[in-house]
Amino acid sequence: MKKQSKEKKYMPEISQKEVQELRKTITTTSQQIITENIKKMKKTDPNRPKAMKYFDEIADFTKREKEIRAAKQEGKKVIGYMCLFAPIELILAADAIPVRVNSGWYDASKLGDRIVPVEVCPMVRSTIGAKMIALSPYLELSDTLISVLTCDGMTKLGEILSDFKPVWTMTIPRVKDTEQSLRLWSEEIKTIKGQIEELTGNKIRGKQLKSAIELTQKATKAFRRLQELRKGPPVIMGRDAMLVNQTYMWDDIERWTEKTEALCDELEERVSQKNWACPPDTPRVMLTGTPMIWPDNWKVPTLVEEANPQGILVADELCSSERLLFDPVGVDEWSMSDMLNAIAERYLMASTCPCFTSEDGNEDRINWLLNKIEEWDIQGVIYYVIRGCMLYAMEYIRVKKVMDSKGVPVYYLDTEYTREDVGQMKTRIEAFLEMLSARIDL
Amino acid sequence: MMELIGEMLKLTVLAGLTLAGILVILIWKKGLATKVTYLRFLVQVVSMVAVFYLFTYPVWQLIILIVIFILPLLLGRFFCGWICPFALIMDAITLIRKTVKVRYRLLPDKLNKFLHNFRYVLFLVFLIIPFLLFLFDPPSSFDTSFLLAMLLSGPFEPLRILVGPLIPLIVPWEGPLAISGVYFSYPYVQEVILYSEVVFSEFIVNIIAWIFVGLTFVGSFFLRRVWCRFCPTGASIAVLNRFKGFKWAPMLHIDKDEEKCTKCGICKRVCPVQVTEVYEQKAGKITTSMCTLCTRCVEMCPYQDCLKVKMGGKTVFRSRNWLEPSTIE
Repeated sequence: MKKQSKEKKYMPEISQKEVQELRKTITTTSQQIITENIKKMKKTDPNRPKAMKYFDEIADFTKREKEIRAAKQEGKKVIGYMCLFAPIELILAADAIPVRVNSGWYDASKLGDRIVPVEVCPMVRSTIGAKMIALSPYLELSDTLISVLTCDGMTKLGEILSDFKPVWTMTIPRVKDTEQSLRLWSEEIKTIKGQIEELTGNKIRGKQLKSAIELTQKATKAFRRLQELRKGPPVIMGRDAMLVNQTYMWDDIERWTEKTEALCDELEERVSQKNWACPPDTPRVMLTGTPMIWPDNWKVPTLVEEANPQGILVADELCSSERLLFDPVGVDEWSMSDMLNAIAERYLMASTCPCFTSEDGNEDRINWLLNKIEEWDIQGVIYYVIRGCMLYAMEYIRVKKVMDSKGVPVYYLDTEYTREDVGQMKTRIEAFLEMLSARIDL
Repeated sequence: MMELIGEMLKLTVLAGLTLAGILVILIWKKGLATKVTYLRFLVQVVSMVAVFYLFTYPVWQLIILIVIFILPLLLGRFFCGWICPFALIMDAITLIRKTVKVRYRLLPDKLNKFLHNFRYVLFLVFLIIPFLLFLFDPPSSFDTSFLLAMLLSGPFEPLRILVGPLIPLIVPWEGPLAISGVYFSYPYVQEVILYSEVVFSEFIVNIIAWIFVGLTFVGSFFLRRVWCRFCPTGASIAVLNRFKGFKWAPMLHIDKDEEKCTKCGICKRVCPVQVTEVYEQKAGKITTSMCTLCTRCVEMCPYQDCLKVKMGGKTVFRSRNWLEPSTIE
């Protein structure tokens, strides 16, 4: 591996004193926010499932940070990724730990402004900021980063972060269902496999890869079970389910699966007792758009579920939540090449990321939304976009047209990585929910 | 002679039942009752035995031809996917390939489509040749029974070629290979011998026959269901399906739900005959005659209810969240 002594391409000189100070203040607020968010979630649903306790613990980064640190001591490698296109199965097969390193800290995004302009996606700015002051434990602990060149922000984010860590880039084609796209992506998967093998020193063999695939399949199974439970009257608050999904990004996957299954057992019991988390006639809302990353960017789900009238999130189309796990790797024959093909196809073709286009536009995303609306009985869609997220913003009209034809109200909510507009957002969300309740009453 | 046939019958039944028994035990033990692939194997083995019995009837060719031509009207190429003994041989070779973990090859889509259309050429050639022979060498009388006999057993035996893939490994007549009184055969081998005998000596004929067997073995080792891609027998329904007004024809077909599909591409990858329509077509009835209805795609599709096998409007089998165990309807 190349030494990191080269000159910094992007990073400005910041005095260590300033870094320390900023780190201290932001870490303290971050801790406060985690506690506060969990407290709020408990308040909304006083009768919260007991199994959520585990996820609260994992949501507080310190526990998992300690574990990863211990694993690193034993020689395990940690591989961070920024988009969910990174093939987790390969990382697991090489006995490394995959963690997603996107940042949800509002305060850190202001630091990112020193390097990139304000117009850039705040999630990218926040990740840069988090790195500048070493805020995110997972970003700090990862030995290398996989940067998938999806949107413009992500493309440059990898480049900027390469000032600190080795970054492996993966080119993703913008059209997914042509033969040449798949060929390119398969080659990328093979290359990244080689890189992972070189870093970890473990050769990825068929047996390990098979068990890694089975591990994620089991996780998908648990995830799908949870989603099925959300189809009926609300048995779990949307934020709780989102937190469960989100912890998958950094938790130990085997344990995560176990705990999620336990949560589902508890929820099934509640369904039989008709013990609902909120009144069954609460408007059912789906979120779509830019990813929302724990802990800070929890504003919208909190507002929806704490609003008056209350709404409940029963489904979403966020790459930080449901899209993480919705699609399993479907292997036809358990040979190495077919497993790699299956992985390549699962990550490229099943994705509904707006960075793709085709003759029919991003048809898959529309179909996903329509399917969710029908199966999860969605009454309203909140289209969440953070300023600077061009791709999601530009697809809005398309989604709106389809939703209009189906008679499902869509609400475009644009915001920033900031707490300042909470009051205003509250009014907007409440108006939307009021409208939904009125529609239900009619 | 009859005793010998009786002995052979017993042997085949025994072998068939043992195989079926082993499969049942395997399925039961592994809890794989939901896996259609295993069920299909079972059906194939049992139908191979059934085909053997059919061959012992004097009018077997007629019965089988009726089955080949009438069944597809109702079931599409279900026959090809689930009953045909040649398909069983190819699937068995695929199974061997899977255990030695060799990756299969793919034909380019264009070549695959060309082969698919080439079957009609084969089909027509075999049907037209006997009529051409009529023209060159007109028979003295034209009564129908003579015509029928001519078609079935004329110099080129055109319809036997269509029955070709149905030849089970053990045949109740004098097959080309005899081991201790049991006659073995292989799809098309008798026809290959029949035609090459005209030109070559017995020794070379045998070599040609073995080369044919070897080629199909190697072919189906590297390509899944290689013969199904251009088998002229499979054309019977395909011809009808091409005409408007006959689109209803296969009552059994695969149906796709657009909204549930995420275009993950699994259906395209697992298809043994490389049908792309299931993936490419947005929704509705999959009418391509390339599909042998083996239902591998339905089995592997990970989205509940996205793909369905429908029999006359009623769903017989549907794709399911295979991460969860569920039952066949």
